Amino acid sequence: MFKKILVANRGEIALRVIRACRELGIGSVAVYSDADRNSLHVALADEAYHIGPTPSKESYLNIAKIIDVCKKAGAEAVHPGYGFLSENEDFARALKKENLVFIGPTPENIEAMGDKLNARKIMQEAGVPIVPGSPGPVTTEEEATKVAQKIGLPVIIKASSGGGGKGMRIVHKIEDLPSALRAAKSEGLNFFKDDTVYIERYIGNPKHIEIQIFGDSQGNVVHLYERECSIQRRHQKVIEESPSPSLPPEIREKMGEISVRAAKAIGYIGAGTFEFIFDNKTKDFFFMEMNTRLQVEHPITEMVTGIDLVREQIFVALGRPLSFKQSEIKQTGHSIECRICAEDPVTFIPSPGTIRRCRNPQGPFIRVDGYAYPGSTVPMEYDPMIAKVIVWGDNREVCIQRMKRALLETNMTGIKTNIVLLRTILQHPTFIDGHYTTQFVEKEISVNPDIFRFVLDESFLIAAAITAYNDRKSKDTSRLKITTRWKDMARLKGLRN
Amino acid sequence: MNEQIAPPSTADKLKILELKNAEALRGAGLDKIKKHKTAGRLTARERVEILVDPGSFVELDRLVTHRSTNFGMDKKKFLGDGVVTGFGTINGKAVYLYSQDFSVFGGSMSRTQANKIIKIMDLAVKNGIPIIGLNDSGGARIQEGVESLGGYADIFLRNVTSSGVVPQISAIMGPCAGGAVYSPSITDFIFMVKNTSYMFVTGPDVVKTVTQEEVSMEELGGASTHSQKSGVCHFLAEDDKHCLLLIRELLNFLPPNNVDDPPILPTKDKSNRVDVELNSIIPDSPKKPYDMINLIKIVVDEGYFLEVHQHWAKNIIVGFARFNGRSVGVVANQPQVLAGCLNIQASIKAARFIRFCDAFNIPIVTFVDVPGFLPGTDQEWNGIITHGAKLLYAYAEATVPKITIITRKAYGGAYDVMSSKHLRGDINFAYPTAEIAVMGAGGAVNIIFRSEIAGAKNTETERANLTRAYEEQFNNPYIAAELGYIDEVIEPAMTRSRIIQSLEMLKNKKDSNPPKKHGNIPL
Repeated sequence: MFKKILVANRGEIALRVIRACRELGIGSVAVYSDADRNSLHVALADEAYHIGPTPSKESYLNIAKIIDVCKKAGAEAVHPGYGFLSENEDFARALKKENLVFIGPTPENIEAMGDKLNARKIMQEAGVPIVPGSPGPVTTEEEATKVAQKIGLPVIIKASSGGGGKGMRIVHKIEDLPSALRAAKSEGLNFFKDDTVYIERYIGNPKHIEIQIFGDSQGNVVHLYERECSIQRRHQKVIEESPSPSLPPEIREKMGEISVRAAKAIGYIGAGTFEFIFDNKTKDFFFMEMNTRLQVEHPITEMVTGIDLVREQIFVALGRPLSFKQSEIKQTGHSIECRICAEDPVTFIPSPGTIRRCRNPQGPFIRVDGYAYPGSTVPMEYDPMIAKVIVWGDNREVCIQRMKRALLETNMTGIKTNIVLLRTILQHPTFIDGHYTTQFVEKEISVNPDIFRFVLDESFLIAAAITAYNDRKSKDTSRLKITTRWKDMARLKGLRN
Repeated sequence: MNEQIAPPSTADKLKILELKNAEALRGAGLDKIKKHKTAGRLTARERVEILVDPGSFVELDRLVTHRSTNFGMDKKKFLGDGVVTGFGTINGKAVYLYSQDFSVFGGSMSRTQANKIIKIMDLAVKNGIPIIGLNDSGGARIQEGVESLGGYADIFLRNVTSSGVVPQISAIMGPCAGGAVYSPSITDFIFMVKNTSYMFVTGPDVVKTVTQEEVSMEELGGASTHSQKSGVCHFLAEDDKHCLLLIRELLNFLPPNNVDDPPILPTKDKSNRVDVELNSIIPDSPKKPYDMINLIKIVVDEGYFLEVHQHWAKNIIVGFARFNGRSVGVVANQPQVLAGCLNIQASIKAARFIRFCDAFNIPIVTFVDVPGFLPGTDQEWNGIITHGAKLLYAYAEATVPKITIITRKAYGGAYDVMSSKHLRGDINFAYPTAEIAVMGAGGAVNIIFRSEIAGAKNTETERANLTRAYEEQFNNPYIAAELGYIDEVIEPAMTRSRIIQSLEMLKNKKDSNPPKKHGNIPL
């Protein structure tokens, strides 16, 4: 067993890993930037080290600093969490060179899946269905036109190193193709320093469904079923559930099998996720990308399978075989995760700041992974996600009811949060019947901000009334200072001798 | 049968009040207000609303009208008569204020307008509360003749008698010409708004008639002229709103009257902060300039320094700042401009500021880096002797806590003037880089060793050797420290904590001048 693990991350995921370490009797080492001095992961870890100023580049992304801390603290392994250095093969290599264990896949795994174009090719060879598209990068307009005509409109142009919605352009009409190509290229260049783009068929009613897989160093690979993550805003997930309400059992099996096969093809070790785009009408599914790390939404898989993924990651990193066989993994009940973000629920503009009060939901089958406490700050420089509320239920209906109740109990003041958006989605008919797509928030919520009135809670009105009352109320006279030096002198002078 | 007319009910009476108030708020009519607002200027009432805390303003004399019957004036009356007066709070502290309404008779001064202003000035002085005037007036109400002039003079008198009793602040937010300029000029601080405010004793037309000079309003008496050339204006604002917010900022530093203390504001800045960068702020070469403003901003609370006369006589810096929440007036030589020499303008600028601080119990912190008074015929012929003496007089007379820090040069008479121990400086610090001497080494050697240098074989080598010897002996703070003229030679990094410690020890200072009607400062 490891004696000490360094957690090269912040926020809730750092806490998640620290908790796993503590359960296993492993020492935990936190790192923090200037902005996170008072963050909860610093308090909860056994040791904490300052690694630099607030910008991630100078702290959480600073490989040399993190390795330094490993040596200083005597950590044997590093868990990268998600984001930051989690999918950085240079980091994985640098650790290896220093005889430190990277809790995650091999550098080769990361590299193979990091370049989306390359990943597509590998997957195609492994027999994974791929969205029809250009065989490789597209550079000229003529090339692009030819590809588009071959695969049929609409198409989407994607930057090869892109992500998070940046460097993507949808083209419905062939005459729009040249300008879209230029735009995608320049965005790719601006955001990722790479203007390589490719073209794919654009799927109109897409659902985002992903398969969690796990591999060990002995070559065993299993899948832990799917998660549906179609509820997104600005191409980032907000609500995830498992199982997906619209996946027929035979397709679920097929997706799982294909994912296991593909992971074996690249000799994948550790936790990973195959993301698929699923056409809700034709029930076709196509490979999108593979994430070579733990996902934000991993808890819903933990809830339905009963498997602690972070604990398993640590075991696999130690070289142990997987502690479960495919046949032993069962999907039981239903789980939903809601991401609580510090942002405006209508415009999605981040709202960093100091949290004044916060209350987490409690009760049966509820789990909260978050780093907020009263007085804690959500720094402007990092991801606005503060907490994940995860619930489990016998079936989807119970699960939704429970989540609605949990969110009513969830309370966070001092900053804006998206809780009201989450509650609105949970009672929207399209969500309830399960036929939602990745465009749900954009098309059915954002166009009609008035929709929030359904969940407006009277406490807002009461709070406003109290504030107005206090403003109008005359000042508390008992606290008024009744004397000044001017007044004392004036009194004295006013007395007759 | 005569029909009985029912007497007005209470509801009717309330209605009448409502109508009267509405009429007063309309002023000379919406057209006039609209016209006034085209130049981006705010109305008299909008200005008041921005200046004071929301909802705190109480208007007095809203229903006053003029009583003139000349030239058919009795047929032209507007409620309020061109000025809004009253009281309110700024940052929770009471103020009395008036705001002239240019849209009514051009804001011109009538007998009744003067009466309104006098009323609030008297109330302010009785209660020890600051007065703020927002000026926007074409001048005297000519139709009223000498009555209008009498009104002006009544205001001037009150400006003078309340000077040094309560802070008086003037904002020029439109034209201000002729006699009207004298009320602001007596007050403690004048704010002007870029491009929309003017002050002059005689306008461009009269100037042309008398001196044949062609000059625009802006050039003659615009905000930039008065903030850069004449020094009449203390604070230059970008627009009306900026001007009003600046007044709010300034008031935060001031006490309400000459008996009470300035407000102490809570600060998060540590009182024992050590500023290591100060140890290298003084350049190795004494001839090299550095920006004294940087030094000030490093040592004060939260780097916040409200500079007065920012654009005029830049060789001296004056302004307000806080140390551990306490208001202080900062005076500092600026080595970047004229090497920090004192000249006529700088002496006047600093002297007036020091007297203001002294009148209102605001401690004075002085940073000294001064090579002397500026030489030249221009200075002598214009009376640097008289004007330089003002600064000396102001420092000597001041009884508030006085802390001095000599950062580098303190030569000759200028050493004496700049809050020296001899002029009742309470605590005088010097940096190890201080050079306290009668003059610079070169000049001193030329005088002391005139014959030695003349008689030497190689005069230049001899002069250089003697200069080095002189520098070693005098270019330091230690002789002054031996004599007790300097209380402590400090490491620059410790400046902030030393100032705060000293202010704490001086907070109950009692000192006074002999009883007199008033001194005779060399005006």
